[in-house]
Amino acid sequence: MSSLNFINPFGVRDDPGTVVGDFYTDNFERNARPGTVILNLGPQHPSTHGVLRVLAEMDGEYVVRAEPVLGYLHRMHEKMAEVKTPWQFIPNTGRVDYLHPISWNWAYAGAVEQLAGLTVPPRAEYLRVISCELNRISSHLLWWGAFVMDLGGVTPILYAFEERETINDILQIITGSRLTMSYFRFGGVSSDIDARFIKLTKDFIPYLRERLKMYTGLVTDNVILRRRVEGVGPMSVDLCQRYGATGPILRAAGLARDTRRDIPYGVYPKLEFPIPTGPSDDCFGRYMMRLKEIETSLTIIEQALAQLPSGPYMMEKAPKATFKLPKGETYFAVEGARGQVGVHIVSDGGKSPYRIKLRAPGFSNLSLFAEAAKGTLLADALAILGSLDLVIPEVDR
Amino acid sequence: MTSLDGRHAQWKETGALVVSRHDFKTEGLWLSAVVPPKSILTFAKQLCDDGFTLLDVSTIETKEGFFVTYHFDSFQEPGRLALRVLLDPQKPQVPSLYPIYQGAEWHERESFDFFGVEFVDNPNLVPLLLPDDLQGPPPLRKDPKNLASLSLLGVFGKPEILDPQWADIINPPKEPKADA
Amino acid sequence: MDLSLLSFVQIIVAVLLIIGLMVGNAVVMVYVERKVAGFIQRRPGPYEVGPIGTVQPICDSMKLLGKQLFVPANIDWILFFLAPVLAFFPVLLLFLPIPFGPYLTGLGVGDGILLILAFAGFGVLSNILAGWSSNNKYGLLGAARAVSQSVAYEIPMIMALLAVVFMSGSLNLSEIVAQQGSWPWQWNIVVQPLAFFIYLVSLVGETNRAPFDLPEAESELTAGFHTEYSGMGFALFFLSEYANMLLVSFVCATFFLGGYKGPFLDGFWWTFAKAYAVMFFIVWIRWTFPRVRFDQLLNINWKWLLPLSIINLWLTAIIMKIIS
Repeated sequence: MSSLNFINPFGVRDDPGTVVGDFYTDNFERNARPGTVILNLGPQHPSTHGVLRVLAEMDGEYVVRAEPVLGYLHRMHEKMAEVKTPWQFIPNTGRVDYLHPISWNWAYAGAVEQLAGLTVPPRAEYLRVISCELNRISSHLLWWGAFVMDLGGVTPILYAFEERETINDILQIITGSRLTMSYFRFGGVSSDIDARFIKLTKDFIPYLRERLKMYTGLVTDNVILRRRVEGVGPMSVDLCQRYGATGPILRAAGLARDTRRDIPYGVYPKLEFPIPTGPSDDCFGRYMMRLKEIETSLTIIEQALAQLPSGPYMMEKAPKATFKLPKGETYFAVEGARGQVGVHIVSDGGKSPYRIKLRAPGFSNLSLFAEAAKGTLLADALAILGSLDLVIPEVDR
Repeated sequence: MTSLDGRHAQWKETGALVVSRHDFKTEGLWLSAVVPPKSILTFAKQLCDDGFTLLDVSTIETKEGFFVTYHFDSFQEPGRLALRVLLDPQKPQVPSLYPIYQGAEWHERESFDFFGVEFVDNPNLVPLLLPDDLQGPPPLRKDPKNLASLSLLGVFGKPEILDPQWADIINPPKEPKADA
Repeated sequence: MDLSLLSFVQIIVAVLLIIGLMVGNAVVMVYVERKVAGFIQRRPGPYEVGPIGTVQPICDSMKLLGKQLFVPANIDWILFFLAPVLAFFPVLLLFLPIPFGPYLTGLGVGDGILLILAFAGFGVLSNILAGWSSNNKYGLLGAARAVSQSVAYEIPMIMALLAVVFMSGSLNLSEIVAQQGSWPWQWNIVVQPLAFFIYLVSLVGETNRAPFDLPEAESELTAGFHTEYSGMGFALFFLSEYANMLLVSFVCATFFLGGYKGPFLDGFWWTFAKAYAVMFFIVWIRWTFPRVRFDQLLNINWKWLLPLSIINLWLTAIIMKIIS
């Protein structure tokens, strides 16, 4: 960089040829415009939440082009599914998306039940709804804190964690774990809820409603936050369609598509809840969308607790560990915190499924980042990245 | 636009090889079609114009070749459809959906990673989830002796076979064991 | 100025005391900042080492001293090691003209504020050098941001201070304090509220603290211009950041809050109390607000603070002319 390099007190050899990019940098740099700088964000970077890597071509502070590079947390769950028996794969599903593991539990258990024609007892269906919605709230809360942290406000995440801890404590009673839960079984759930669980949940609902009001005053109405997110990163319905984006992103864009309502599963048809659509298709819309979804989930939990029937939490002739999938193909989707979670199973009737394809909503949502980030400021690009609510293990699977 | 019957007719008209109806309660699909790889773009364009989005690209390796399933979901009304293509096992090639669904780029790269299926005209067909210097065959390819034939997998629902070649694939003639 | 042996000794003693003040300030501020942050974020903060964690800063500095000095490849050696030193030492000089108490001034410079404003520009120089020499793109971006931010925020800062100078008719800090009274309604903040506000905003921008910490924006540039510094290099940047904060707080106390004058008994305790109140304010907003975007940061300055400060200066000049 300078002609003064010859002074070298530590004896390290300065060889300009030693620092070269890897395969992806070379591949990305090939199409770069002259006069731009390739900035490599990640895989270790404070605002990529894990090990996402984004290559950005920068013209000053502007992002000319961006390309996410994936695979740093790839664990080949699909191959594991082909090796393990259906039973053995259940814990894997909790590890695909560690923030909303129960949605993946549900997608997988649901797909197997659909293929094998198993019926779940009504009480188990309600338990599924309650646990899934509680988990969705905890996922959205963590996103909320992390998103504000991306914008430079470090305090809200610790507030969000307080509520998240409460939810973890509640879910721990029934699932036994706090992060990678595997609560669902084929034909039911692994344990019943008790009086303590119901009391804690009932106490938690009004408490969180109060806290959400406080957050509105503390964070949502903050003028700096508003200026940072309003009008940033618009994602139209058309863009979502071309990239297959679902979940809060799509609903914030104004289209009320929710798997819980459109392709009903479980006992969702019996529950009344609104499908909110966002105020706008920018980062602020997605922000408000998720806060509204927390309230929707609270409504659902309230109703589910009120309607909770008695009975078994597991079907009578539940499949044993040696259970084999019948021949056939099925696709089952549930609404996760990030969008439509899908599981595609093809079975030849053998010990383990012939092929399982996991459809991660984060994967499709992230794929539109390259287009959304084009021409924005670096700070805006990171706000857009944050507003997609990425969980890298889910994207990489 | 259309009802399932309309879609059924439209696909027949456009030149699908097999059009199948499915039982949504057990298979999670309304309708699927096996189409010739060359005309996959035409079919995808129809779906895109009618407000469908691409959910994922799921590849299966079978005795007959690589069986690629594109899952679509509607933005207007509930409806999950699938388009399928069967690719040559030696040289699996299919046109990329990138011109219509830009999101297909990543799904296709994933199939390229795991199965080695080549999507022609994908703008950036490099490893996505796997490292760039991975040695050996694509990791989800099966041992040839473990391969199942398509008829065993039950992926066709209630098929209407429009191409005579596919009659043999879906309902294989009972051959003497020595041939297999 | 009389450069006799006595004044020479005085300067030496003052510089030594100021070094002590800077280091002591950093030690105190590390603890205070972490405790205040803990309080704001509803967690205990440091509490393991010593009674309620008071020994924590000592342990922190021990750790920093003991750390490996990591040096990235292909750096500019001279500039890379010069930058932290350059960040730290000019700040020393800036404390000299500040009247801590009625008779407690390091160096009674006649044009004290000129000295401070002139040397304050050095801080940004070290940021540029650090960002440029460390052969890191984050560092480079951070340096570029630091330059435009410092250049921008120095102007309204000077304008706000000039308004006070216009009123007192002196560039001497002791003189400015002497003209203010002991009670809060006799301080300059009452007659120059706008200038005080402008100064308060631009001092946050000038010291690169959140929400204006763009040169080291953590979620964008990891650590900005000091990304590649570890151990003592980082510690010096850290020290100079707190020293800069202390300096602008002292200037704020001197210009707007009556300096060492206060109710009941004048003395250096009032200067320190006021300066640390300003410091607490800086810490408080850091843990409360999200970060502004870079274009917004410059817009606040060029479109709001600068015109406001010019109008303020202009009005002050006219009113002073009419009164005198």
